[in-house]
Order: sequence, then C-alpha cells, then structure tokens
Amino acid sequence: MSGPALVFVEQGPDGALDELSGQALAFARRLESPLHAVLVGPVAAAEPMRPDLGALGVSTVHVAGHPSLGAFAPAAWAQAIAETAARLSAAAVLAAGSERGNELLAHVAARTEQPLAANCVSVTPGDPPEVTRVRWGGSLLEQARVHGSPLLLTVAAHAVAAEPAPAPQEAEIETFAPELSEADLLVRISERVPAAAGGVSLAAADVVVSGGRGVGSAEGFSVLEELAELLGAAVGCSRAVTSAGWRPHTDQVGQTGTKIAPEIYIACGISGATQHMAGCKGAKKLLAINPDGEASIFASADYAVIGDLHQVVPAISAELRKARGT
Amino acid sequence: MALAAALAISGTIFVRRSRFLVGLVRAGAPVDRSGEVPERVQAEATIVLGQRKLLERIGPGLIHAFIFWGFLVLAPTILIAFIGVLDKHSTLPWLGHQGWFAFLVDVFALLVLVGVLAALWVRKVQRPQRFEGSHRGEADLILGLIATIVISLLLWHATRIALGRSEWPASWSPLSHALSHVFSGGGATKVLERVFVWVHVLAILAFLAYLPYSKHLHIVTAAFNVWFGRTRARGRLEPLRFDDEGVDEEDMRFGAGTSADLTWKQVLDTFSCTECGRCQDACPAFATGKALSPKLLIMGLRDQVFADGAARAGAGGGPDGGPGEGSGSFEPGPLVPGAVTDEVVWDCVTCGACVEACPVSIEHIDHIVDLRRHLVMVESSFPAEAEPMLRDVERASNPWGNPQSERADWAAQLGVRVLEPGDPAPEVLYWVGCASSFDERARTTAESTAKLLQAAGVDFAILGARESCTGDPARRMGNEYVFQAFAEHNVETLNDAGVTKIVANCPHCFNTLANEYPDFGGRYEVVHHSELLAQLVSEGRLKPGPAGEQAITYHDSCYLARHNDVRASPRELVAAVGTPVEMERSGKRTFCCGAGGAHMWMEERGSAINENRVREAAATGAGTLAVACPFCTVMLDDGVQSTGDELRVVDVATLLVEHVEGRPQ
Repeated sequence: MSGPALVFVEQGPDGALDELSGQALAFARRLESPLHAVLVGPVAAAEPMRPDLGALGVSTVHVAGHPSLGAFAPAAWAQAIAETAARLSAAAVLAAGSERGNELLAHVAARTEQPLAANCVSVTPGDPPEVTRVRWGGSLLEQARVHGSPLLLTVAAHAVAAEPAPAPQEAEIETFAPELSEADLLVRISERVPAAAGGVSLAAADVVVSGGRGVGSAEGFSVLEELAELLGAAVGCSRAVTSAGWRPHTDQVGQTGTKIAPEIYIACGISGATQHMAGCKGAKKLLAINPDGEASIFASADYAVIGDLHQVVPAISAELRKARGT
Repeated sequence: MALAAALAISGTIFVRRSRFLVGLVRAGAPVDRSGEVPERVQAEATIVLGQRKLLERIGPGLIHAFIFWGFLVLAPTILIAFIGVLDKHSTLPWLGHQGWFAFLVDVFALLVLVGVLAALWVRKVQRPQRFEGSHRGEADLILGLIATIVISLLLWHATRIALGRSEWPASWSPLSHALSHVFSGGGATKVLERVFVWVHVLAILAFLAYLPYSKHLHIVTAAFNVWFGRTRARGRLEPLRFDDEGVDEEDMRFGAGTSADLTWKQVLDTFSCTECGRCQDACPAFATGKALSPKLLIMGLRDQVFADGAARAGAGGGPDGGPGEGSGSFEPGPLVPGAVTDEVVWDCVTCGACVEACPVSIEHIDHIVDLRRHLVMVESSFPAEAEPMLRDVERASNPWGNPQSERADWAAQLGVRVLEPGDPAPEVLYWVGCASSFDERARTTAESTAKLLQAAGVDFAILGARESCTGDPARRMGNEYVFQAFAEHNVETLNDAGVTKIVANCPHCFNTLANEYPDFGGRYEVVHHSELLAQLVSEGRLKPGPAGEQAITYHDSCYLARHNDVRASPRELVAAVGTPVEMERSGKRTFCCGAGGAHMWMEERGSAINENRVREAAATGAGTLAVACPFCTVMLDDGVQSTGDELRVVDVATLLVEHVEGRPQ
C-alpha cells in the first residue's frame, strides 16, 4: 500500500474525539500505512481533538470548512471525504461503523464506484486485503476479500479498543474547502426536534421496566414510571397494553414493537406471549413479576416474584429510596 | 325503418363499448384458468342458473332469482315483440302460439314485478348498509327499466287479447287476460297496442345501450367470471414467475402496481361487480371499523381500469383500449394510492369471507395480494411493525426469530422420532409448524397431537430443526420472493426424505403444503390433524370416553373451513368430547380470529376482530371455545383476556387427549 489510510473522525459530545472514531483510528493502524484523519467542521473544533488524534497516530488532520457544511449533509460530507482521499491518493478510507459512518462511506463508495465492507471486526493487509465483518445483526461473521482502490471499510463498534499508537505523532491541521454542488446539499439536517416523550430511549436503555395487561389501566403505569425513574430505566409495555390504548405503540416491546437488549428487563404483569418474548429475548437478565405462577414468562425468567405488581413494585421503589437515603 | 334505426343506434353503442371492454380484459396479464371443465359446468349450473350464493340469503336471493329466472323465460318474448313491431299479425313460429308459454310468461312477468317491487322496498325502506357507496341512482334506473319492459309486455299482451289478435289461447294467460278487460277493443286499443309494443322494444334497446356503461354489466360478464373462477384449491395463490426461462423480463410481474399489471381475470372481476355488498357484510375488517370494504376495493379498481383504458385509447393506444403496438405516451398511475388507499390493502386478513359471499365469483384476495406484492417487492412499502417478522422468517426460518435448534424441544420428553437425513420415511410426517413449535400456548396442541398419534400407534416423525416456516406469512404479506425460497427449500427437504403423507395441525401450513407446494414440485397427501384424529376415532384406534355434557362451541379457522372445506372432522372431535353448540357465523361463513394474511404480526386499527369473535362465542353460553389452528388459539385467548369472558380456548386435539387419557384404559 502506497498512499495513507484516511479515517473520517467526529467530535464527541464533550468536544473531545468521539469514542468510535478513536476505535476506527486504532483499527486503521493495522493497515500499516501513514494515518490521516478527515473532519468536517470549523478548525476551532479540531483544536481540542489534536492531542488525542496525535496519540492515536494521526500525522495530518484535514478539516473541511465550508459555509454550507455546518449541519450534517451526507452527500456533501461524503464529497469532502472522497475529495481528500483523491487528493492524497489514499490507499484506504475508513469510518466508524456507526449509522453516520456507514451512511457516509456508502456515499463515498457510490461516488468512487468502489466496494464497501461495512462493520469489519478485523483486517489483514494484503493484495487483496482480507476482512472479517459482522452480518445479520451479529449472528454471522463473514470473511471477505475486498477488491477495490481505495479500500473502503467501516469498523464495527468495540471491535478494537481506542489504544494509543506505539509511535505518537504531532497531528498537523490542514484546512480545505471541498467543491460542493447544489445537489450535494439537498439532503441535510434542517432542524432538530427533541423526542416528545423524553426520558430514556427504549431501544438503547440498560434497564427496562415493562407492564402488561396485569397493570390494569393507563394510570396503573405510575408505579412502573416511578421505579423506572429511580433506576434510570425506560418504560415499556406489551401488545395488550398498546391495543387497549394505555400506552403509545412506541412503548411496545415485542415482535411488532421494539426489540430490546437491556442489561435487565423487569416484566410486570406480563404473561409472556411469544409475540412479546420475541422482543425481549435479547435481555441479559429477566425479572418477572406476575401473580400467576403458571404464567409462561417464568419459563424464561432469571428472577421471579409471584405476586401483584401493584404491591411488589412500590415495595421495590421504597427499598431503593431507603437504601439511597432519599 | 324506425325499428332498424333504433336497433342500429343501440347496437352500435353496445358493440363499440363492448369492444372497448373486451379489449381491456384481453390486455390483462396472463393467468391460467383452463381445464377442469366438469367443475366449471357445475359452477355455472349451481352458482349462475341455481343462484346458489344469492339464495344463501333467502329474501334478497329470491328477489334476484325471480328477476333472473324471469328474464331467462321471457327472453323469447324479445324476438316476438320485434316481430310484432314489424307485423302486427305475425309471431314466432310455434312458440308464439303455445298457451303454456303464454302462461309461463304471465307467471314470470309477475314474479319479475314482485322482485322489482321488493328490491325497491329493500333499497328505499330497509336501506341495508351493504349498499353504502354503491351507485344507488343507477340501480333505481335499472329497476325502473326492468319494470317498464315487463309492464309494457303485459299491457301489449292485454291489448292483443282485447283486439282478438293473440296467437295463443287467451285463457292460458290469466294476468294479461284480466288486464285486457280494461281495453275496449276499439280504435284506441289499436293505437295503444302499437304504443305498448314500441315502448317495450325501445326500453329493451335503451337497456342494451346503457348496459355496458352501467354496473348492470354483470348480466353479461358474471357467467364468464363464474366459469373462469377457481374450482378447486381455493386457498392457493397464483405464483409469480421470477426466473422462468421463456419469460421476458418485460412480462415479469411483481404483483399489481398499475391497472396494466392486473390479470385478465382480475379485470373481468371488476367488470362483474354489481355492487351488492354481500362481500362487505361478510368482511371482518369492515365489521370492525377498518378502512377496507371489499366492494369498494373492486369498484375502485374498476374505476381505475376504465379511466386508464380511456386515457390509453385517447393517447393513441392499441385497438379497443388495449396497450397494443405503440401504446402512445400514456403511462397509467399507481393503483395505490390511486384506486385504493394503503390502509385498505393492509387491512385484509385474507379470510376469504368476501370471496365465499360473492355471487359472481370475484376473487378479492388475489387483488389484495397482488397489490401487496407490488408494495412490498417494488416499493418496499408495508407496515413497519411487520418488518421484524419478514426479517426473522428470512434469517431464522420462523417468524419470531427463535433458534431453529429449539424447534423440536417440545418433542424430546415425548420421545417423538426426529427424522434425520437418510432415515426411512415414516408413514406420516407430522409438520408441526412454527407456532406449535415455539409458542407457549400453541405448543400444547403439538404435544396433544403427538400423544394421540402415539396412542393410536401411528408411524410418524417430525423434521425437527430441518422444518422451516412454509413461507405463508411472507407470501400473504406480499413477499413472494421469500415465500418461494422457502417453498423450494422445504420441498427439497420433504422430497429428499421420501415423504408421501403429511399431517399438519396449522391450517396455514396445511393450506400451503396441500395447495401451493404442488406449484414447486411438492406433491403429498396432506391432511389436517383434525381429519386424521377423527379418522382414528372412527376406526376405533383412539377410544375417547363417552361424550360429556359440557357445552363446547367450535370456531372454524378460515383456512380450514372456507379455503379447504374441512368442517366436519373438527366437529366430530368436539362431539366425541362434549355437547356442541354452534355460533351463528360458522362453517364456511365463519368469522376470522384476526390473524390471517400475516395480521398475526401486524397492529390492528379500529376495534379488535378477536374480541368481536370472542363475544359471539361467549354468547352461546359454552364454557369452552374449541379451535383447530394455533393462530386462532393465540388470538382468541388474547381476546378472552381482553373481554374478560369465562371461556377456555383450546385446540380439538387437546380436548381429545384429555378425554382419551382421562378414560380408564
């Protein structure tokens, strides 16, 4: 490989280098090419990331500044990446396997007419390079040879740790203005509207407290909401609850709702119909609270409380408060 | 001269329009409806001549039958009247002189009039919901024309009797004879005789010209539509051909995106609808306040077919409105949302109640599925909540995404033989299905069935992890591609294993295996578990104790009772165990549980179909609601929990096993 490896990086919420971008840089070092990064935004944003980038082995940071590049616009950002790659004759272009990273490199792939291997967990340089990548939501590992120049990869989250490079660099910042057409800016973020519900997102929550038909009414969910707040958990429900109109469909856990994978799932007054279990079988631990000891949910539960949730759940909340002294 | 002119005008209008309509049908996509002649003759005899489906509702059925049979009998009088216009002293040789025929004419003319008056009463006084959205003004006009034709005929006959000109013995026609006393037999009567025959003939010609522009077109198309209707295997969907050699890419269909994609039978369906609304009355989606009305679906498609046909002809399309050579610049617009809304397409549970109810053999499910196929495979537009099901079927071979390795877990403790590659084929392969393999509530059915087969000494085995989803939910969703992949895979597994006979407890698997896999090279003798178990009971290989007194009401599964005519066997099992009580909507007129057409994996709008059905079951007073389908089991059990009724939802196999085991051996 002759040219450098170019990695698209982003700023994290705290202004420092985004964690997944760091992982992508560490991953890119396996290609044994000089490491460059490309970033979209003002130079001021790049400055606080410089030490991190240098520590990860980046020699040059290319910062794309353009009056129209403020908000995310996938085609325009991809143009900035593709342009940099062409200018550097990059041997490889990488990004984190985040939704944004995958979207951008898909655009780059289309623009350069090269194949893209998404969600890679390992790469072996060579001609052609070989990658292992995650498919089908993690159920399948695919080994592939990637014919293409530049080599286009995204890096599966947590495939490698963002460890510093053995030979740290002094990352230099170079700015450039990409050539954008109007069409590049057709799709862009024009406004951000916070989700109406607020609270913790169901799909990403570490803890989910869910209620089923046994909750009895929309008002009955107050005890679950109280527990969820104490645990920093999201509130979910079964299909029976959304059918009855007690909660919106967005709260439904199940085959026809959200499929979740929390650390712990607390299922209250849920019988455990297949349609529901299909949505929560990704949970690491399942605590079931149900007055019916024969309920099928107990077959899948790690912890079981046979009892009325309207007594059990407030008791758990009370214990939590007591333990925390609030 | 005047008659020739009237005939020419009316005939030209009729022929012109008919050519346009025939062109539209002929331009339809191909579908094979040949063969099975004896069954088609039988369908004509019972459904058309015998008015079988209409007479299932005796009141409106008789009204229609009177008018229909009346017109069959009165048909020769049209010719007689034309002769009468030309020459007041001539009539049809022989028949025109027959007293018995004149008698029949009087009787049937009266029946037609009774029919017309009763129909007007139904439409104006009763005003049933099924006519909502139909062209009611058109119907009134047609009834008026029919009345005019018949009354003028009777009056013409009466004046001829008064003038002593009747070629038949007047005493044979009591009604005309009685009416004849009104007329003096003088010069005024001579004038009136001419007036009545002209009114009669002109009304007939007006009818002829108006007919092909109206919903009443069914009097021409219905007989053809019934002839080309499905005869056997009604639960089978027409497969799409994806990679057949000899199929041009241009001719490849991915369902119906525009009116140009409809098959000729589907076009003929739309021309046959007379907007009677029997389909709508039977539809569970309509009954629970959803957007779908099967009647409005067909009417919407017809409007689009007409509009596109006219526009294509205007744009210099092929002859008679077909696409033909150089079909001009016309591009038809999408059927969804042009002819019907997206909601309508997804509300359907493919239960077939509409198809069963339709007196002219319109096949609504084929329309719905073709619209879905286009939406899913071309537009990728379908209810978001069903996406995990499609993904799980593709990825995990079952619609809940459970590991295949757990498919046979239920069978391990029962010692059921799992057929491994190379094993000798059993006498009967038990196809368990995904629901009975994985669902907690449905699994009981698999256990019961296996225990009963063991008790009866049947040589059977299951495929275990080698069994996959049949592809039915994907197919009913419109994802024909996924379905065919599974069909080919399963057929290969079954054929390699040397399977000849299959028993399935899931009516959806049963329907797919029996009616749809033959299209993919899988031909087996397929029976439903209720059929096999009833046979084992009647042969004495299973010996249940004496039937108890507990009242049991049996819910027919659509895919059993309606699509496959399995109605007796489950009832025999119920009768062997307890005291059967029937719901009003039973047998082939059953009401869906709400799960069909992949609705098991979709969210329901409006009120719940399953609750509607559970309330009907509870109203029988029975404490047990027997079912013979795993999806009905889950849906109705959910329904019972919602309504709070005291009902035990249980499969017939479980009822039987409890009764066999409970009996001291």
